[in-house]
Amino acid sequence: MRVLVVEDTPALGEQLVMRLTAESYAVDLARDGEEGRFLGETEPYDAVILDLGLPRIDGLSVLRHWRGKGIDTPVLILTARDAWHEKVQGIDAGADDYLAKPFNMEELLARLRALIRRAKGHASAALTCGPVTLDTRSGRVTLDGAPVELTAYEYKVLDYLMHRQGQVISRAELTEHVYAQDFDRDSNTIEVFVGRLRRKLGNSLIATVRGLGYRLEAP
Amino acid sequence: MRAPRSLRFRLLAGAALWIALALAAAGVGLSTLFRDHVIARFDIELEHHLDQLAANIDVGPDGRPVLPQALSDPRFQRPLSGLYWQVQAGDAVLRSRSLWDVVLDLPPDPDSTAHRHNVMGPQGQHLVVIERSVTLADTGAGLRLAVAADKSELGTVMRAFNVTLLGSLGLLAAALILAAVVQVQVGLFPLSRLRRGLAEVRAGRAERLGGTLPSEVQPLVDDLNALLGHASDVVARSRLEAGNLAHALKTNLAILANEASALDEAKAGPIRRQIELIRRTIDHHMARARAAATKGVPGSSTAVEGAVAAIVRVMRRLYEERGLAIEAQVPPGLVFAGDRQDFDEILGNLVDNACKWARGRVAIGAGSEAGMIWLAVDDDGPGLADAEREAVLSPGVRLDESVPGAGLGLAMVREFAVLYGGRFHLGRSALGGLRARVDLPTLP
Repeated sequence: MRVLVVEDTPALGEQLVMRLTAESYAVDLARDGEEGRFLGETEPYDAVILDLGLPRIDGLSVLRHWRGKGIDTPVLILTARDAWHEKVQGIDAGADDYLAKPFNMEELLARLRALIRRAKGHASAALTCGPVTLDTRSGRVTLDGAPVELTAYEYKVLDYLMHRQGQVISRAELTEHVYAQDFDRDSNTIEVFVGRLRRKLGNSLIATVRGLGYRLEAP
Repeated sequence: MRAPRSLRFRLLAGAALWIALALAAAGVGLSTLFRDHVIARFDIELEHHLDQLAANIDVGPDGRPVLPQALSDPRFQRPLSGLYWQVQAGDAVLRSRSLWDVVLDLPPDPDSTAHRHNVMGPQGQHLVVIERSVTLADTGAGLRLAVAADKSELGTVMRAFNVTLLGSLGLLAAALILAAVVQVQVGLFPLSRLRRGLAEVRAGRAERLGGTLPSEVQPLVDDLNALLGHASDVVARSRLEAGNLAHALKTNLAILANEASALDEAKAGPIRRQIELIRRTIDHHMARARAAATKGVPGSSTAVEGAVAAIVRVMRRLYEERGLAIEAQVPPGLVFAGDRQDFDEILGNLVDNACKWARGRVAIGAGSEAGMIWLAVDDDGPGLADAEREAVLSPGVRLDESVPGAGLGLAMVREFAVLYGGRFHLGRSALGGLRARVDLPTLP
């Protein structure tokens, strides 16, 4: 899953990027409202963590701009502005969740997972496809109840496919959601990760749709 | 002496005084002029009769004066008519028929030119006499000619004139005072508008004085508007500054908290607790400062229905994961006489607290009662035991002495309620959990 963090305080931005990366998210960091607005508009994110007090363009304006353009990426506002009238403004501007600073990192991660899951139309935190289960809270993957060890990128690819079961996902789309923006991308590596996942989880789970991409389906 | 309080009274009293003085002076002046005129006419008429008498009088062979031809005014013929003449030649006296058997008692008088006397006439009439001594050229006889008229005729004419004059001036005075009342009313109308405008502002139905007023009043209106604007600017600025400080501190606290989470629990725990304490202290004082700053600013009001709907929208979103049923029943038209942000803070804290404890349902109600509006938030959570409720709301416990921490949201609600002259009460909910009710002022 690819997440955009828009946060102007450098130390906090770094902390968020480090922790989210450790949780297997591909993370881009924007340090002001203008950069955040541009990235949110041009890159396909699965969720955005948005500060409100930003240089150049404030967070609420960025959010209204996106919503005005029909971009419905789930947005979690992470701000020190925690008065209720500010929360009303944030939610009315189109935010999906609102978390006040200082915050508990675990709570932020839980809310982010819930946000992405709800946006993809899943009610439970544990995603299941046939014998395979992926628990978004713990990051654990099991095959017929037995734990399966995955590398970070294998997890990212599986996570994205599990959230979009039954849909055909192109290699380019997978690349965009698995890698952060400034990463040197190579869509051939996606093929490598899919191959490894097939070896670990069984060949029939991920089907190749010739010329289009991959589809995750219960065998 | 104390100045009269009413501007209208002062203006009207001033106008009435000047009208009365001016009309009195005019009355006296006109009456005097008229009297002088009438007297002059009276004298001229007497002189005219005297001339006629002098032209016609003659002396008979016996040396007695004779009047060969009667004077033209018939009143000389009518007895006691009030108009008389008399001619004396030595001891001989000739007089008009109107004098009947009375002889005018003229004072001894050597003056030969025409001059006046006041003498008593027949039947006690006060007479004005004009007399002149002449010497007839042909006989050399000296004659004393006198013409007299009743003065009371003058008085009758003057009285009739004065009555008419008084009536006319009275009518004029009434018309002028009425005009002054209308003028004062029209002149003071902008002040009435100003007063109504200020009442609207004080009641919270308007933020500024509107409309254009006459150039004498407009500067006052502009100054008042500037003052109102200044008050709300000061509040907005201080809120912004306090907010900026709080935001900066909280962002740094967030960084600290994240650093602490990298430590083992024995070290991280106390740091996290301190961070939480600092956050609550900031919230506590921010909210107090906000509420205190708002209280003195006139002109704020909040439509309850829309504000509740906004808070419900936010809560449904924030607690979406828990699938709580959050319902609100608010009659339309309720108005809170206070700032929208304060209202959001009050209701936000109440509903947030209810959502934290609710098992599945939160209900928001509102209404008006005894000149106040009430808001009630019910939940189906575990609720509070009577003793706990007492502890949260025990009287005499000042909030600034209480430790910011447990129940800060509810403590803030009570703080706001007290600041607005309202009440806060915790009880048992029909849903099984806690019922929090706050009473707040509405517009008069």
